[in-house]
Amino acid sequence: MSSRKKVLLKVIILGDSGVGKTSLMNQFVNKKFSNQYKATIGADFLTKEVIVDDRIVTMQIWDTAGQERFQSLGVAFYRGADCCVLVFDVTAPNTFKSLESWRDEFLIQASPRDPDNFPFVILGNKVDLDNRAVSAKRAQQWCQSKNDIPYFETSAKEAVNVELAFQTIARNALAQETEAELYNEFPDQIKLNANDNSRNRDGDNCAC
Amino acid sequence: MSSSSVEDIPEQIKDLFTQDGVLLKACLGRPVTDLNAIGMLCIVQNTDGTKCIEWRPNDLITIDSDTQDHEWAVVNTIGRRQRTLSGNLTADYATAKARIIKIPLEDLKTFRVTRNNQQMQFSTKPGVWQTTFYFQHGNAEIFVAYLKNHVKSAKTRHDRNTYMVVEPNIESQVLNKSFAELDIFTENTTDVVWNLVSNFKQRPYETTLEAFSKLTDIVYYGNEATNGKRDVSEEVAELLTKSMSAMDEATTVTRNDEYEVISVKPTLPPRPCIPRGTPLSTEKWDALKDTQGRITEVDGVKQLIFRGGVAHSIRQSVWKYLLDYHPWTMTHAEIRAHQKRKTEEYFSMKLQWRSMTDGQESRFSEYRDRKSLVEKDVNRTDRTHPFFAGDNNPNLVVLQDILMTYVMYNFDLGYVQGMSDILAPILLLLNNEVDSFWCFVGFMDKIVSNFDMDQAGMKNQLLQLQQLLTFASPDLAQHLAQKDSGNMYFCFRWLLVWYKREFSHRDIFRLLQVRFLLSALQSNLLGKQLGFKDNTAEGIYHQIVSAPHLNDQIRVILGHQPLNISTSTQSDDDPVEPSTSQVNGEKSILGQDVDEVMYTRVCRKVTPNILT
Repeated sequence: MSSRKKVLLKVIILGDSGVGKTSLMNQFVNKKFSNQYKATIGADFLTKEVIVDDRIVTMQIWDTAGQERFQSLGVAFYRGADCCVLVFDVTAPNTFKSLESWRDEFLIQASPRDPDNFPFVILGNKVDLDNRAVSAKRAQQWCQSKNDIPYFETSAKEAVNVELAFQTIARNALAQETEAELYNEFPDQIKLNANDNSRNRDGDNCAC
Repeated sequence: MSSSSVEDIPEQIKDLFTQDGVLLKACLGRPVTDLNAIGMLCIVQNTDGTKCIEWRPNDLITIDSDTQDHEWAVVNTIGRRQRTLSGNLTADYATAKARIIKIPLEDLKTFRVTRNNQQMQFSTKPGVWQTTFYFQHGNAEIFVAYLKNHVKSAKTRHDRNTYMVVEPNIESQVLNKSFAELDIFTENTTDVVWNLVSNFKQRPYETTLEAFSKLTDIVYYGNEATNGKRDVSEEVAELLTKSMSAMDEATTVTRNDEYEVISVKPTLPPRPCIPRGTPLSTEKWDALKDTQGRITEVDGVKQLIFRGGVAHSIRQSVWKYLLDYHPWTMTHAEIRAHQKRKTEEYFSMKLQWRSMTDGQESRFSEYRDRKSLVEKDVNRTDRTHPFFAGDNNPNLVVLQDILMTYVMYNFDLGYVQGMSDILAPILLLLNNEVDSFWCFVGFMDKIVSNFDMDQAGMKNQLLQLQQLLTFASPDLAQHLAQKDSGNMYFCFRWLLVWYKREFSHRDIFRLLQVRFLLSALQSNLLGKQLGFKDNTAEGIYHQIVSAPHLNDQIRVILGHQPLNISTSTQSDDDPVEPSTSQVNGEKSILGQDVDEVMYTRVCRKVTPNILT
């Protein structure tokens, strides 16, 4: 495996205001929940080291403001993202309906190289509440229709599925990263121009 | 002015050397609209054999190459960084040529390179740097190298970066000889640069890139290599200290035979100590009003408050004036009537949303969205403060009612996240629904551009902040740019809600109060304030304003009128136009007991006998 060097994964959390983006990030990173988070203004990030398949990976998790108005700043935050987490509130159907536009907006602004296979993860948050309004089935169907995006039902408050979800986020981001590197190396290997070869860092290494 | 005469451009001129990515930063006598344009800096030969340094704006060049003018042969040898352009210019220029800048080599007296090869200035007249260019790629040394083929120059004794032109070189092909004379490079001791120049002709693109990256390495990693890894915060702190304290490097004027060589380091002058006045007391505040309750010396009172703040006991009253709720010139009786009208207006707007039925709401999505956002944010605004803490806190209801009424007051703007943060301290202070609403309205009027739908106001502020930082602390600005933070987005929250999230409520009262008194443009300076309590920020403001290299861009950011000239001369005692704003321009009294002097001054205007 040639991708040992890159260990920083940039993860962006998006979703409507008040769905629990900050809470999820804090539950995962600090193992804490508070009723007293403030509305996120601009963007914040936390980092956490995790182990994925025996590799130490640093996740840099970007928490963003939920109000649509602040999206025009997104491009600066989205750039270089390795995975995008879309969050909705299972008790608020509107936040579920917004997923589509959050996903589109991300793809437009971050413009990843391979948009069809860019790793997204969907989190249906606040499953600890009684007044649920979006069924798991409905959410799953939507995720399947979008190229089988992984779906988790979480509770940031009671730490349900949070760890598992972020493990998947890390794994999928990492897989994407590895593929990207293979992608990158390929053109170098088949270059026929001898002059150009001399400038390759890896010299004349064979692809195999 | 010789540097800007363009009417007599010969029809046929020949480019001897061109370098692109050069921004016109300043030029004496040019309108500000001509500045900050990117273009190409060239050395050209006129038909009569005389030579000029010529700068052409890029849009001009683009027009010509786009139209495939056959008299132009654009040879793009090295991609975007460097472009060699040869051929003859035609008269097609007519309209745009007025923006071209020409400096005849015969007139050139001095030039200098500063800021790590990023900036180059030219002078044809002793004592004034008439033209300043900014090299985007930090490669001014290349231009210098070519320029030296055409003029004979010598470094001045006192400033290694300043060159005096001895005489224009008559022969144009003294390339090898000139390279040997490039003392700038030997003194820099870097073979890197030497090789750069000699390789430049063969492999211009690679050479430039390679050398540039090496130079960058030296600039950025030089310390690290010798001292080992250092703490980043330590690094930043040092950069900050370095750029803020390098004030003692005095301006020197050297007489060298017949030329007067002036070297002005682009550093800020010493920071003046701005003493903080004592807060305005209840007695003084009352004394500022006439018998009817009118306040006539508004600007003076504002200055007093800006200098020293106010006693907390009168803050409630003062804020109503500062936030344009109570007009300064109203009598007590007029204010009572005014307040009554405003109360009625408030409750009629409140009734508009209070009387909305569930059915109406269900068919009014734009209203519903705003309401839901308000509800979400009210429940997470300052809940750790006793005033808003606990379940079923009645103050939260008031907070929500005011924000909802504001939605009806300005439906287009509606509710934007951050507003609840701004309202909370106002409500905490005034503890009155109607007063808080109108004061909130007044504050929103001052900072409404923070909440633009397209965030244009915020983006502009961040850009201005970056420009100010580049001016006041270029090292720190460069460091941030290197760390991908040149967009200053890390300041977004600070600016959006005016540091509300970063300080305690007590400090926020003082900070906001200062903000109320600043015009929108000046706010940026405090935006990068480093020690608000002792007026360091204002000291920095004065440093920037009186910096000899202050240019129009910075002047405008600080709320001054542009002067349309950008380099001020040494002989000017006060190169800065008198401020039109209300919070500065009190130079004459700095260093004295500011608040007493001012208070006396203000009071004399109100009632001549008040102090006797």
